[in-house]
Amino acid sequence: MHMSGQTAFTGAAKTGPTLISLKDVVVDFATRDRVVRAVDGISLDMPEGGFTALVGPSGCGKSTVLNMVAGLLKPSAGSVTFEGRPVDGPNTRVGYMTQKDTLLPWRTVEDNVGIAFELRCRRSERGDKAARVAEMIERVGLKGFEKHFPSELSGGMRKRAALARMLIYKPSTLLLDEPFGALDAQLRLIMQKELLELVDASGMTVVLVTHDLEEAVSLADKVVVFTSRPGRIRAVRDIPIPRPRDPATLRFTDAFRDHCAALWDELRDEVAAAMATPHA
Amino acid sequence: MSEGARLWTGRAVLLAALLAIWQLGGTFVSERWISSPTAIVGRLADWLARDLFLHLGVTLAEIAAGLAIGVPLGILTGVTLGRLRNVSAVLRPFVVVMNSLPIVALAPLLIMWFGIGMLPKIVLVAFVSFLLLFFNTFAGARAVDEEQLDALTLMGASGVERFRKVVLPGCTAWIMAGLKNAVPYALIGAVIGEMMVSRAGLGHLVSRAGQQFDMTGIYAGLFVLMILGSVLNEAISLAERHLLRWRGPHGA
Ligand SMILES: Nc1ncnc2c1ncn2[C@@H]1O[C@H](COP(=O)(O)OP(=O)(O)O)[C@@H](O)[C@H]1O
Ligand SMILES: [Mg+2]
Repeated sequence: MHMSGQTAFTGAAKTGPTLISLKDVVVDFATRDRVVRAVDGISLDMPEGGFTALVGPSGCGKSTVLNMVAGLLKPSAGSVTFEGRPVDGPNTRVGYMTQKDTLLPWRTVEDNVGIAFELRCRRSERGDKAARVAEMIERVGLKGFEKHFPSELSGGMRKRAALARMLIYKPSTLLLDEPFGALDAQLRLIMQKELLELVDASGMTVVLVTHDLEEAVSLADKVVVFTSRPGRIRAVRDIPIPRPRDPATLRFTDAFRDHCAALWDELRDEVAAAMATPHA
Repeated sequence: MSEGARLWTGRAVLLAALLAIWQLGGTFVSERWISSPTAIVGRLADWLARDLFLHLGVTLAEIAAGLAIGVPLGILTGVTLGRLRNVSAVLRPFVVVMNSLPIVALAPLLIMWFGIGMLPKIVLVAFVSFLLLFFNTFAGARAVDEEQLDALTLMGASGVERFRKVVLPGCTAWIMAGLKNAVPYALIGAVIGEMMVSRAGLGHLVSRAGQQFDMTGIYAGLFVLMILGSVLNEAISLAERHLLRWRGPHGA
């Protein structure tokens, strides 16, 4: 169990043993008339307790990478390992917040958020279920909406409910696919701070997909820039800004601006390339 | 006067006018053919004092027993076969062909098999409701959101838990659509069965009156059937509104 040891807080980018490893990963999707190469030879190691951000133009295979780590998709070539073992089926060690929220529309917010406790594998944690649900709903700012159905919430509220549903059972690894994309700027900063506090307190490993460079730099220890499709790794940059960080004030520091500028230099060409070729 | 009160006043006036025309019409055309509202009310009162509830009870019992068998079986079969990708692909054309059969046309066959009591009607209702629930649930199970299933899988849900928490509720809208069809069909099936051969039931009342050229009896029987059908349909709509309240104002 990699959660057991107290993750000593060092203040610098954490470098535990490799938890997630992609080696020469290729993904081809067969569509009706042709084969699309979504990912073209990605190799990437992510350490236990690390916070990795994946950025790149849309359609470059970021979600595809998360799907492979979650075990929902097999690479066409290459290997994906988790804790040293190949991922060969749904990876229940990860909490996965997909790009499209997968809340169950017939359940209220609180019943969605608490659903993990209804599963047999988590029955033993049931004791303070109601309290934890209420606390988590408050944390993501949905107090007062406990009895609402997803159809009655805005896109950003649904995202926050999905985040609460995942965080509540404290998975040791989080896969987040554009979790804050639908939020307004202020709320996004608040949610980013909440996430950082939770992650720092529990030593979770995080893989975050985002199209927002500033979000990547304020949250991650390591930012990976993808090329436009077919996705390859264009650049990897460590972000040794000490923790705890406050995303709201971090953005006014020189270090932050330098990292963003350097990453933007890499990303700019890829975005232009993605715009020049029609993508799905 | 409020909007609602105006609406209902208008409806009451229209109904009263229609009834008055019908009543007066009897003095121009023979009442033998079109009967009259007062005669029908008299007949209903007469039936109420005698055996209306027996016949109503027989028809209701046939519908209830048939639905109790056909609905759960249809849901379970549909959802199970719909989730088995290969089986559902093989079955699809059979389902389509069965779906286009007017099922009440099976009534004569069932009467030959099961005699003239309540049993053939129950079997007919069960069969109709089974098929309608099966078709709808089968389609619903094929349309379940795979990403919702994946989400539960990653939380550690077992196959049974995924089935109970995603597949079945995901089919609710389709199941309700099936029920909305099945209930009127159940009434039709039971009544048609009774009209062919029977000793009791609302269909029996109507066909007996028909054989005796008793127009008032036919209209009275149809009136009871109309009320029964409306009550059943309204009950289903209420259940649907409650069960699907999560759909929000925009449907979907
Ligand atoms: N199931 C699929 N079938 C066919 N093509 C797919 C499928 N999933 C993704 N793709 C294609 O693979 C590419 C990468 O997709 P994705 O990983 O979702 O990109 P991103 O998340 O970076 O925007 C896109 O061009 C997309 O159209
Ligand atoms: Mg994506």
